[in-house]
Amino acid sequence: MEKEWLEEFEAAARRPLSLRMRYAFIKTYKPVLDDAPYRSFDTMEEYRRWCEENLPDWLGYGRV
Amino acid sequence: MAAFEYRQAQEIRDAFRRHGVRYLFIGKSGAILLGFPDTTQDADLFVEKSKENGLALVRALRELGFPLTEHQAGEIEWGKDFVQLKNGPFDLDLVFAPDGIERFEDAWKRRVDIEGFPVCHIDDILASKAAANRQKDRESLPRLRSFRDYWLGKNRKTR
Repeated sequence: MEKEWLEEFEAAARRPLSLRMRYAFIKTYKPVLDDAPYRSFDTMEEYRRWCEENLPDWLGYGRV
Repeated sequence: MAAFEYRQAQEIRDAFRRHGVRYLFIGKSGAILLGFPDTTQDADLFVEKSKENGLALVRALRELGFPLTEHQAGEIEWGKDFVQLKNGPFDLDLVFAPDGIERFEDAWKRRVDIEGFPVCHIDDILASKAAANRQKDRESLPRLRSFRDYWLGKNRKTR
């Protein structure tokens, strides 16, 4: 295990959950994805395909 | 929309408990609850797909302030595999059939309780991310696998 990662895991373990969550959740605008108030998909395959066909590549939702 | 907060996670936990919703935190938000130090934008919930649970889920979501139409409520009750809510007090992804996990019941048996939050086991979180095989998951998997080893070692010592 990388030393830097181990140090990060140990530091996180010392923080209370509320603080960990404050550091962890961020909000930035994601084009297309954030532009509809509600979406639903019958299958995960349908969702994955929709992401690949509609979202910018740089968001990273495309399958490898 | 502001970032998801601890207080909102508590509201989910409490409302879902009141209505008897069977669910688990999954994805990176689940890993963060387990202690994984990273960032994410949304809370992902793996929800048991059943009519009864769907009805309870809709009641809980409405109580939390999600203005679901009858059509949307019907979709959640009757079972889509994935629902994305961005019309409420916070963003929420509802996953009813995550990649890499065969049955809700199996994940439920392996769940971890973190301050009353039901969370998928780190192995299930890893399995779903590996199966999804997205670029963003591929990039975070090595560090998440390291965290798994750390987390398992730590929990063996403390139990």
